[in-house]
Amino acid sequence: MPSTLHPLTSLTAAGCTAVITTAAGAWPLSLAVGLAAAVLAVRAGVGRRVLAAAAAVLLPLGLSLLMLHGLFFPEGRTVLAAWGPARVTAEGLAFALESGSRTGACVMVLLLFSFTVSAPDLVAALAGRGLPPQFGFVVASALTLLPVMAGRLDNIRAAQEARGLVLRGGVLSRLVGVRLQMVPLVLGLIEDSGSRAQALEARGFGGPGPRTSYREVADPPVGRRFRAALLLLAAAAVALRLAASWPAAGPS
Amino acid sequence: MTTADPAGPMATTDSAGTMATAVMTAGTMATAPMAGAVLAARIGSFSFHGGTSPALRDVDFSARPGTLTAVLGGSGSGKTTLGKLLAGWLRPGPAGRLSGSLALAGELLEFRGGEDDPRINPAAWSDRVGYVPQDAAAMLSTVRATVAEELAFGLENRGTPRARMLRDVAGIAELTGLTALLGRDPATLSGGELRRLAMACAVITGPGVLVLDEPLASLDAAGVIQVRDLIRRLTAAGTAVVVLSQAADGLARSAAHWIILDGGTATAAGTPRELVRSAELARTGTVLPAVTHTVPAARARGLVPDTAPVLELEGVGFRFPGAGRAAGEPLLRDLGLTVRPGEIVAVTGRNGAGKSTLLRHINGLLRPGTGTVRVAGKSIAGLPAGRVAASVGLLFQHPRDQLFERTVLREVSFGLRRLHGREAVARAHEALETVWLSREAATHPAELPASKQRLLALATVLARRPAVLALDEPTVGLDRHGLERLDHAVSAEAARGAAVVLVTHDAAFARGVAHRVLELDGGCLREV
Repeated sequence: MPSTLHPLTSLTAAGCTAVITTAAGAWPLSLAVGLAAAVLAVRAGVGRRVLAAAAAVLLPLGLSLLMLHGLFFPEGRTVLAAWGPARVTAEGLAFALESGSRTGACVMVLLLFSFTVSAPDLVAALAGRGLPPQFGFVVASALTLLPVMAGRLDNIRAAQEARGLVLRGGVLSRLVGVRLQMVPLVLGLIEDSGSRAQALEARGFGGPGPRTSYREVADPPVGRRFRAALLLLAAAAVALRLAASWPAAGPS
Repeated sequence: MTTADPAGPMATTDSAGTMATAVMTAGTMATAPMAGAVLAARIGSFSFHGGTSPALRDVDFSARPGTLTAVLGGSGSGKTTLGKLLAGWLRPGPAGRLSGSLALAGELLEFRGGEDDPRINPAAWSDRVGYVPQDAAAMLSTVRATVAEELAFGLENRGTPRARMLRDVAGIAELTGLTALLGRDPATLSGGELRRLAMACAVITGPGVLVLDEPLASLDAAGVIQVRDLIRRLTAAGTAVVVLSQAADGLARSAAHWIILDGGTATAAGTPRELVRSAELARTGTVLPAVTHTVPAARARGLVPDTAPVLELEGVGFRFPGAGRAAGEPLLRDLGLTVRPGEIVAVTGRNGAGKSTLLRHINGLLRPGTGTVRVAGKSIAGLPAGRVAASVGLLFQHPRDQLFERTVLREVSFGLRRLHGREAVARAHEALETVWLSREAATHPAELPASKQRLLALATVLARRPAVLALDEPTVGLDRHGLERLDHAVSAEAARGAAVVLVTHDAAFARGVAHRVLELDGGCLREV
């Protein structure tokens, strides 16, 4: 279900939350932000998609953080276990938790934004701010690419099943399916983009000159004030963080 | 026209890359074939870059305001190439080498196939010449949420003020019968609705010429009437409409002027009355509906042996889950169908009636909410579609959805080895031979023209020798030779004992080829 907020308000909210969480650098806050984003995603009806996408990004990242900092953290003093040069230290684990939760929070809020924003509203809002339409088109295409690819994959899978391909639930079977479907998917998308480019050109998309927008996106004053407040807050958080780090960084 | 282009429609680029207005050569414009024409072309030859022979040769074309011109020819005759060239979708230079001239609204462009040739500005050209491709969906921007916004896309790009956009969108929606659909997501439109939307998108900027590639393909009777009515209104308003078609159907016969293309060359031009019985038309693969479908009304009904049915649908009900236009309303209700070996059943019905949905139930790609589907006496419930495929072959409505391999031969061979073992290669070649595609075995399926893609998709079904063939709109895009191949293949399949269920809008073909014609209406089948 698309968000009812003005797309620039939700974009600012997501961006500022990510900046403030990063600047604060406190894992309880990061965890709280990540959880809040998950709850909002579930309430917006996109919980499953947001969590699946977040898992795809965060699981490999979390594992690599654990491997890197959990096992090899030179500043670590409290050794919990050791195998030769690899030492599990409390400080290493804390650092992995800190950076993992911070990245997790950022990924969650940005995913929440991208899964709830109305792509046409965002394109109209960006065009209204004078951004090149090509930029808006790329943003909209990126946001709608996943559903388009999913639709195409369904068609290709149906065509292959209609000719005797049996896909079972197992990982191996799925991998075989992915291998068979990727080539036609990519070739199809490339072929599509060629004919789409001709149509877009014919409809004046690449032409110079000013553009107008048919879609009007309501941007109430309260939303604009909220965006300004969020930007101020984010700037303050960054300033505070810099100020807090300065004396420590200064002498060294 | 919403905006005037200061550089004229045919902005040219000189060797320094600066824009200059095309200069009209008065002497050339005064010559007879181009007099009074809003769009004219004299094509000595046009070749694609890397092409071994010209795609078009010796084609003279002209279209006058307020008239309908039909360009007729079989599959691969060069109609689409000519249409795209006229409409600026294929631009001499980037797309290929043109020797000849194009004249639009009083301006003449001469091409010699060299570096100094003028360059066409596609946006400015499309202000004067609209084009709707055979695949209407390719026309859409894909980033607009509603029909109204899709219609406005071309106006937005030309900087039309919003108040005027609202007026133009409402006006064009009224003209094209899209008013009730303005709030709909373009992705949920039926084939007929989509084609009208694409035509509306092409004419909303008020071009003087509209080129339509196979505008009636895959439309139901109501869709055909709407599109023909729209064309009538456009010509009455002064638009020169050009129809590219491989059928000399009612629409083509209402044209003022015909140009017959054969092998990329214009072999004849004149009025329909002069050309309808000409040798030039007969030589092409153009379908002559009244002539082609004079097959007896029903194919000897009693000839199907009274054996046990190979396909049975009993009390089948289905509705699409989740959001979308079909949500909540069942597409199929308590539907029953029995087909015996050797029997050919045609299913007709309006766009969106659920015909494709019905076919997907036969091979297990969709599962009924209620009722049973039995193939060769056994229920297919719980059987994966890939297993049902051993007995049921499905020809998809859009061949491009069905083709995914790198060559034509690999395409037909996919999954055959498991079915036919060592005979797989022989079966693949045999199927290609049946649809006359043996010479294309090494070609990439995407490089084939639409009609050959459909025949290739048919070959992938034939090669499997299924007990049941389910064919979705098999006639769309086929020229006369293709229809003959299809007719031959369907008859041969029935003769070897296969049951054939085909969905079609082509009532004449349905009556000619099938033992029984059924109509899908309100989710149920009834005899016609």
